[in-house]
Amino acid sequence: MDEPLNAWFVREVLAHEGALVRYLARTWPNRDEVPDLRQEIYVRVYEAARKVRPTYPKSFLFTTARHLISDRARHARVVSIEAAGDLDVLNVLVDEVSPERRLDGRQELKRVAHAFRLLPPRCREVVWLRRVDEMSQKEVAKRLGISVKTVECHLVKGMRLVADALFGPDEQAGPRSVIANESEHGQEQSD
Amino acid sequence: MDKSSQTEEQAARWLLKKDAPNWSESDQQALNEWLESSTANTVAFVRLEAAWQQTRRLKAFRAGTAKGSVPSPDDWQFSPFFDERQTGMEPVTDGAPAPGATPARQRVGLYRTLAAATLVLGLIVGTTWYFWPAGPTYQTPVGGTESVPMSDGSNVTLNTNTKIQVALTETERAIQLDRGEAFFEVAKDPHRPFIVSAGRKRVVAVGTKFSVEREGDEVRVVVSEGTVRIEDATASRAAHSVHLFGAGASKAGTPRLPEGESQATGGESLAGEGVVLSAGSVARAQGDSVLVQEKPLPEVEEDLSWRNGYLIFHDVPLAEAVAEFNRYNVRKIKIDDSAVASIKVSGRFRSTNFEAFVRLLEDGFAIRAQTTGDQIVLSRR
Repeated sequence: MDEPLNAWFVREVLAHEGALVRYLARTWPNRDEVPDLRQEIYVRVYEAARKVRPTYPKSFLFTTARHLISDRARHARVVSIEAAGDLDVLNVLVDEVSPERRLDGRQELKRVAHAFRLLPPRCREVVWLRRVDEMSQKEVAKRLGISVKTVECHLVKGMRLVADALFGPDEQAGPRSVIANESEHGQEQSD
Repeated sequence: MDKSSQTEEQAARWLLKKDAPNWSESDQQALNEWLESSTANTVAFVRLEAAWQQTRRLKAFRAGTAKGSVPSPDDWQFSPFFDERQTGMEPVTDGAPAPGATPARQRVGLYRTLAAATLVLGLIVGTTWYFWPAGPTYQTPVGGTESVPMSDGSNVTLNTNTKIQVALTETERAIQLDRGEAFFEVAKDPHRPFIVSAGRKRVVAVGTKFSVEREGDEVRVVVSEGTVRIEDATASRAAHSVHLFGAGASKAGTPRLPEGESQATGGESLAGEGVVLSAGSVARAQGDSVLVQEKPLPEVEEDLSWRNGYLIFHDVPLAEAVAEFNRYNVRKIKIDDSAVASIKVSGRFRSTNFEAFVRLLEDGFAIRAQTTGDQIVLSRR
């Protein structure tokens, strides 16, 4: 994999995920589709950046979002009127590169700790033992008296929740709670 | 489950597998194939991997807890990492465990001890200003900007090539500007004045927004909201301790210096009270004199546009614009001709994109730009 491109993507694009998801949630009528939209936007941005890195990543990200939304809206024939008005404002605002998300070590640690705190208790335990105590999945399973498969489920869930909390909007917005709900079921049955 | 959710789930499983000890050459090949089969896979994987790597930082909290036992996250709120006030530690930059940290149960006690220790430290600082308490240091490279939230709710934005030291104590919030420029959004706290020291000058605020820039001898202050006071650091060393003890002890007297004493410190325009600046003021202080210019607020905001990565000029001599650009870039622009230096320019530019600036100069004026090594020399065409 192209390492510099990935690092660029994390720093310049994922850093704006909070704003992007908030924008999508406001603009698109169906909240459940926000994660799919986000993914599609990332794909387009990543593919474009593979050829040429955009000079203003944040502008480019939101322009891509806008195009995707109007494409989809043409197909679905549903989009809130509010969304259309929003676009112009956005057009002006997104060009500003704020240093807000350039975090230093301490702030990053804070954010990670916050994300970790939001995990469901069992999931948090599993993530801690695997990542901090560096136990193998097998050891974690043994210690907690659950199957390796369940450990895996918790880790998968933990990964996704941590990513949403780290990159996503600060408040409990659509996509995060979707995963949280989905994972709270499904889990204990596999024990 | 929607499509992106499925992709993400698969990406997570790959990541787990990759982290496991028996990851083989052929596994890597299979992963590569999966990644290359669609950009959606790559993007999901990159995103999760970046987040997952961050969880290693949690090790900073492990110190003291036995392996295999998970501390309650509530124990962390007393962690020294979360409040600069209780600690003289540098900001954590990697996942290394905190040196000398104690088991979670003892942390509350530790917290109290530290709080008491800072109180004492605060008093010492008050009397001997020279000993700056070892607070966290933040710095930016040339061309960088960084926003640093502080535990009192204030926020500092560092401009290019800037270094500050932060010491928040019970009685004051002290920032030392070692070099460069910083913008301060000060959370209101009448009991703890917010003091920015820049060389021989101090800028004192309670709850306001302003920037302080230091260049050699000169200190430049721009106020965009509220009021601040700019005073002499030597005059205020005494005033400072008066302020500190003023709250508790009755013998401390008035929190202000008598006129005579301030004269004794040698200051003139800045002695004692100093100069009060309100929103819209741009002050330049050098030696004992302060020049204050009142500007309309939108113009003041433009002066602060560096926070968004822009430089905005209105009819300024090219020499001045170039000097601004040179603050943000390692490659410097030099003007070889006084006629060129005095050309008036206006516009809005990205501070690190001086190439665009130079190109526009070449297109718009009779100017030739020549690159020699680290320098771009501007001369008449």
